Amino acid sequence: MRIKAVFIFSLLLVFSVFGISIATSSTTPTEELKPTLDGIMAVITDPAYEGPVNKEQRRTIIMEIARKGFDFTMMSRIALGKDWKKIDSKQREHFQELFTKLLENAYIGKLEDYTGQVTKYEGERIKGKKAEVRTLVMNNGVTLPVNYIMVNSDSGWRVYDIKIEGVRLLRNYKAQFKSIVRKEKFDGLIKVLEEKNATFAQEGSQS
Amino acid sequence: MKTLILIAVLSLFFCGCARQNSTSLQDVAEELPVEVDMGEDESLTDDDFDDFDNFDDFDEGEEDEPDYYDPLEPMNRAFFAFNDKLYYWVLKPANYAYTAVLPYDIRLSLGNFVNNIAAPVRLLNNLLQWKIADAGVVLSRFVINSSLGVFGLADPALREFNLEPRPEDFGQTLGVWGVGEGIYFCWPVIGPSNVRDSIGFAGDVYAHPMVYYVEDYSVSAGYYVGSRLNLLSLNPGVYEDLKKYSLDPYVSMRQVYLDYRRHKIEDRATVQKNDNEL
Repeated sequence: MRIKAVFIFSLLLVFSVFGISIATSSTTPTEELKPTLDGIMAVITDPAYEGPVNKEQRRTIIMEIARKGFDFTMMSRIALGKDWKKIDSKQREHFQELFTKLLENAYIGKLEDYTGQVTKYEGERIKGKKAEVRTLVMNNGVTLPVNYIMVNSDSGWRVYDIKIEGVRLLRNYKAQFKSIVRKEKFDGLIKVLEEKNATFAQEGSQS
Repeated sequence: MKTLILIAVLSLFFCGCARQNSTSLQDVAEELPVEVDMGEDESLTDDDFDDFDNFDDFDEGEEDEPDYYDPLEPMNRAFFAFNDKLYYWVLKPANYAYTAVLPYDIRLSLGNFVNNIAAPVRLLNNLLQWKIADAGVVLSRFVINSSLGVFGLADPALREFNLEPRPEDFGQTLGVWGVGEGIYFCWPVIGPSNVRDSIGFAGDVYAHPMVYYVEDYSVSAGYYVGSRLNLLSLNPGVYEDLKKYSLDPYVSMRQVYLDYRRHKIEDRATVQKNDNEL
């Protein structure tokens, strides 16, 4: 009796595992995230692109990789919220360009500070079209949990938000954009974005 | 070895006391702080992704309601501007001098010492949140660090025994109990807070042993400022980064603060942080 139960149980187990493997026959979020992050880190740690002198060239290559792994259109749309609907396609394009540049300055700029870091993949969770990949970033004895929130689009799993200790990058920018748009309208937001990006460009030329 | 036995006995006794309903010794043994993994396992439960259900990210058409309440924004912004000046004019230069005078190791030891003294606060709050195993860890850490760690200057509990800190404060306790955040505050000097955490802060002051040993308030205040300065010296650039990457630092900080505190109350941290980190 007991053997039978064990047999049925193992059969169920095999089927369930098999079933899962069919359901996710395409790549998993982690599998798609890893090459993006590895690629970016490879460029950052590459001595050939080191230093402020090579910043422009380095960033160009990094952003080429990032554009494949991150969904900047989705990020722009979410960050603007309902204001996205109020602007025309030309404004959207302009906004996306500026916001992508800001994210580049914030995210890639931060990564460039930590050249000795190691990323450990701690698992993933998929729910419908969304997934969350948990990673641990270790740098000089400090461990930081960085979670990547991804969406399954036509071109596979792509990152649209980064979450650190409950703090979500996109939600933070969304709150700021909302506050600025309310007071200074969309044109005011564009102006603030341009000014902010200019400070990073300046910083690069000074150092 | 003696210390280990002492810890085991103490935590057994402790857990027994705390769990009024505890029936058997086995029950109690399960709560022994030796099983540090317990906290880790909890972080891997399904609850970890609860906020998936709240994802309204894709519904751009929806009227997005703010998840904060900040009716005092004009006043808060004024205090935020004040704190900003305080940071650049007072704290940063003070920190610069402090960092120059004291080497990192000594500042880290001071931080450990300050954290060790505050152990009763964490113990009480872990208990109030019914986190018995974590309370045991707090107690074990206190015993180990006060003895082997020489008055808490070192942290052998983490390094040798792999007992990670279990930070809990009264603001979190109130949150666990279901008390709402209330309105958002940006206090002068103290910084971002809300009604719940402000009450929590006052509660923690009263749970701190300092209050009972030193009657002079100026000493307590000096102790607070000193410990904050030390913490800042160990985490330089956190505020400057926030300013650097944000378009509206006030809004950014409010969002960071509220999200971070909510996360702490939900206790879904995948990593326990070092006591000396912000």
